[in-house]
Amino acid sequence: MSDEPAPPPLLRTQGLVKTYSGEGAPAHAVRGVDLTIRRGEFVAVTGPSGAGKSTLLHLLGGLQRPDSGSIWLDGERVDSYSEARWAVLRRRRIGVVFQFFNLVSNLTVADNIELPTLLAGSNARQARSEREKLLAELGLEGKERSMPGELSGGEQQRVALARALVNHPDLLLADEPTGSLDSKGTREVMRLLSRFHQRGQAILLVTHDHRLASAADRVISFFDGRVADDATLGAGTGGRGVSSVLELKD
Amino acid sequence: MRATLRWAHADLRTHRGEALFIVLATAGIIVSLLLAGALLSYAANPWQRVFNESRGAHVWIHTSPSADAAVLARLDGVEALSGPYRTARTTVRSQGAEAAVELRGAAPDRSETGRPLITSGRWLDPGAAGGIVLESSLARALWAGPGDTLSLPDADGSSVRRLTVLGVADSAESPYRPGDRPGTGWVLPGEPALTGAPDGRTGQVVGVRLDHPDDTDFAVQRAVTALGAGEVTEVSHWHQARAEAQSDSRLLGLLLGVFGLGALLAAALAVTGAISTRVRGHLRDIAVLKTIGFTPGQVVRIFLIQHLAFALSGVVLGTALVETLGARTPGRIGEAVGVWQDLPGHTAVLLALPAATLLFIGAATGLAAWRAGRVPPVPALRAAAPVGGRMPAVARSALGLKVPPALVLGWHNAFGRRTRSLSSIARLALPIVLITVALSAWSTLDGFQNRAAGNGPAGELTARAAEGLKDHEVRTVLEANPRVAAAHPGVEVAALVPGQTGTIALRGLGTRANPYPFAPAEGRAPDGPDEAVAGQGLLDLLDIEVGDWVRMTVAGRPQILHIVGRAIEPENAGRVVATDLDTLRERDPSLEPAFYRLRLRAGADAGAVSTELASVLDGRLEIGKATSPADGLAPARGLVTGLIAVLALIGLTELLTTIGASVRERERDLLALKAMGLTPRQVTSMIVTSAALTALAAALTGTTLGVLLGGSLINAQGRSSGIGAGIAQSPPALVLLTVVAAAVLGAAAASALPASQATRHRPTDTLTTTA
Amino acid sequence: MRLPLLALLARGPAHGYELKQGLEQLLGAAYPQPNVGQIYVTLGRLEKSGLIEGEEIAQSNRPNKKIYRLTDAGREALHVWFEDPTDEPRVRDEFFMKLALAPASGMADQITLINKQRRQYLNTLRDLTKLAASEDRDNRISQLLIEGAMLHLQADLDWLERCQEELE
Repeated sequence: MSDEPAPPPLLRTQGLVKTYSGEGAPAHAVRGVDLTIRRGEFVAVTGPSGAGKSTLLHLLGGLQRPDSGSIWLDGERVDSYSEARWAVLRRRRIGVVFQFFNLVSNLTVADNIELPTLLAGSNARQARSEREKLLAELGLEGKERSMPGELSGGEQQRVALARALVNHPDLLLADEPTGSLDSKGTREVMRLLSRFHQRGQAILLVTHDHRLASAADRVISFFDGRVADDATLGAGTGGRGVSSVLELKD
Repeated sequence: MRATLRWAHADLRTHRGEALFIVLATAGIIVSLLLAGALLSYAANPWQRVFNESRGAHVWIHTSPSADAAVLARLDGVEALSGPYRTARTTVRSQGAEAAVELRGAAPDRSETGRPLITSGRWLDPGAAGGIVLESSLARALWAGPGDTLSLPDADGSSVRRLTVLGVADSAESPYRPGDRPGTGWVLPGEPALTGAPDGRTGQVVGVRLDHPDDTDFAVQRAVTALGAGEVTEVSHWHQARAEAQSDSRLLGLLLGVFGLGALLAAALAVTGAISTRVRGHLRDIAVLKTIGFTPGQVVRIFLIQHLAFALSGVVLGTALVETLGARTPGRIGEAVGVWQDLPGHTAVLLALPAATLLFIGAATGLAAWRAGRVPPVPALRAAAPVGGRMPAVARSALGLKVPPALVLGWHNAFGRRTRSLSSIARLALPIVLITVALSAWSTLDGFQNRAAGNGPAGELTARAAEGLKDHEVRTVLEANPRVAAAHPGVEVAALVPGQTGTIALRGLGTRANPYPFAPAEGRAPDGPDEAVAGQGLLDLLDIEVGDWVRMTVAGRPQILHIVGRAIEPENAGRVVATDLDTLRERDPSLEPAFYRLRLRAGADAGAVSTELASVLDGRLEIGKATSPADGLAPARGLVTGLIAVLALIGLTELLTTIGASVRERERDLLALKAMGLTPRQVTSMIVTSAALTALAAALTGTTLGVLLGGSLINAQGRSSGIGAGIAQSPPALVLLTVVAAAVLGAAAASALPASQATRHRPTDTLTTTA
Repeated sequence: MRLPLLALLARGPAHGYELKQGLEQLLGAAYPQPNVGQIYVTLGRLEKSGLIEGEEIAQSNRPNKKIYRLTDAGREALHVWFEDPTDEPRVRDEFFMKLALAPASGMADQITLINKQRRQYLNTLRDLTKLAASEDRDNRISQLLIEGAMLHLQADLDWLERCQEELE
């Protein structure tokens, strides 16, 4: 317990609401969500499909506008930002990875990764060194000149992660990044996420894969547009569960 | 912005072909439009062309032989002089005709100013004495060409001097008008016909070229003052000459003006289509760019700048091509460009047309770029595939009946989506509409060739008798010729109508016993006494309609006529009324036929008949061709061909764009189709069928609309110029069918290559992020 | 059997036959029919443990009926049973019982139960992941065992999701 006031949480939302008016009845994708994410926290959001998890992620990344509610990013109120201002935020402070279509199809891998750095104002040399570092780290050296279409699914998502993290954003938003990958690809992506989390990266991961979710610090269960449960993992009963699971009955 | 440049650079690298296509398409369209502009200027300004090429003189002053014309050179505002030349007025006779001519003594090396432009043969040669060069309107009236011999009666009428025609030349002066103004013939200064002419008929003529053409009246005043008013016999103005030359080209001018606008529209639509297709192909990438952090403004800017750069390169390329190589294009087009570069409006058009196209393309690109900026950053939210239409029950049952699936699917592709299909059909139809209008113009010209002065298919030749011949003699001779089917007597007088200052031409043709075959466009031919047909110009002038009565005075005596029909009248701006000779004789019994309209038997050669008739009666019969509206429109055919070529190019661009777009959109569908069991050949034929059907619909719509539009446009122009509505002819059905077939085959051919390439794509490619 | 009976008694006192009917009604035809004798035996055991207490009621022309009531201890045991997250994934039948009986007993909320169970599963999953990482990679049998357990847990978590969807 220290006497200084706690730093503001990285991300805070209050009463976030988003409704889609499609044909027929309007669909309430997000109904009044209050959420807090601290720096370096790894939060997973699970729930059945159609519950509105992706919409929530889009709202947090400024990819869609909420109907009502507020979002604070590092103490700064951002929910009413224009699309252009959100775009600027996304350059340095928020990285986004989707299930597919993460890469610009007519740019090479190197260009794809360097583009955000150039956008954020670095010059070409800095961009190149960052890119080389990341590619080495991800085990993708030699693929600089490949086009996205030539890579496997797992490789593409790794490049996508690299692209999202090249500017060291405060928060990484990942929407089902392993949704279209096989088990090998999934493992690779999971390993990367954990590694970056250990270095202090805050991550919000939307997933329906519980195994992925279990790697997070917190798991938020999202049902029908609302937060049904917000569980902090690792503080629970622990060992007993494992042993009782693994006991072979005689 | 570095990121923007990086993306633009990479995009160019990957889509080199598309970028090149857009640049080339834009260049091609600019080339087409500039060529069309050149053709238009060329056609609508025949006089201007001649004037410029010949460095014409703005004023021609006829003086007495003793005037000191050289003093004019020192006047203010005078750039140069042509001449002065000695002149002599006399008559000249050729094989079939006679004309009044003003001989001019010209030097063998033609002066810089007011230099006649040789159109056939050659100029005067000091070594070839006894040569004459005729001005073209005179040459036409005399039916003479290089190598022919002309005879000039000597001063006292006793002997005859024979001159050989060395060449025919165009000049920017007022043309020959029988009975009104003599034609011009250039001879060597030493020519006896010139030097030996009687005093009363000699004179001088000098052409003055001014620094400031607008100052003509003032300059004329000063010139006359300088020469001495007593010395000046006649002054002619360049305005006059231009007005006279242009009276026939208004029809052409407006027709082509409409084309210019239509072509511009079609062209811009084609390029716009290419651009929208490109933007549509990038939609997924745009979403990713936005996610990375490109602001909407940046996205719009990228596309705008990129495409404006393409458009600019294309425009500059096209303009440069036309400026440097345009004059070397073979045929009329090259000629037109060469002349156009000297015309005053040239720079204006050269800058304005590309600027207008650039503006239009810029606006369209702006729209496409703005739409690109609005793409939501979430890739999945965009409606993934183009929304299709349900396959109608007809199609499904057709499939059940073993109609080839390629055909049915191709039909569904072409016409399934209402708005998309309609817009692509409309865009393809536009050039076809314009081509059909051009063909209508061609057919109208053909129609003119086959009819003379709108008064019926008859009258290919006009015969005038010299004084002293009796009417019945003439008629006997004319009718005796086996190749003449009928000879209708005719007379033309000038009539006045109360309240109008201009004269109306009143014609009496044929007799009641042997009526002239009028073929009115409206109403009927005159049948009984006092019935007449009138031209549109007259109806407009007097604000009357067919069926009204009109009162006019001829030489002080009244003539009342009942207008029962309207005829096509290209002469005198349509202010012509024609009736039969007997009606006119009621007013003036002493009227004798002044000429005969000869209708020849089928297959008779007009030239041969005219020579035969001229030789009878000691050559006192003057045979000429009856005027037809087509005379002034001869260059039109070449122009129409050029225009059709231009429009076909635009249509091709549009076609390629449409096909490229539809093939790209179908890429994802191809996988599903292959999974269903369609062979690659079936898939290719599906795409080709879809393209061919779209082209068919567009061609049918285009030709139909074109026929309707062309007819109404041509008639409107005819009516406004006084010639009269009803001149329009639709192109023959065979020609239209050819156009439709060409469009369909062209579409099929153009789609075959991209279709087979698309089907050869590996199926898995479409599932990756590159789709 | 023991705890379900306790849970039924939480509503109010009942005798053996009523309890049997209660179970049948609750679980329907899918569940094996409870044996009356087994019920009475279990009731006896419960009484002996002090979780319930019986009371004989005299009836006029019938044998005496024994009415059972939940004791404080019994109520407490029920509490503990509901509170305790169930360890073994194989015993989800037990969890299912809790879920099914929570509204009947009025002592626990279904959603809360689900959430708690989910937390338990997630934590176990996390621990299993750590275990797999620390375990010898070449020991295939143990890796497979862990993997199997994780897959079961995933399946259970998915099932929890379905439950929450249906019951909300």
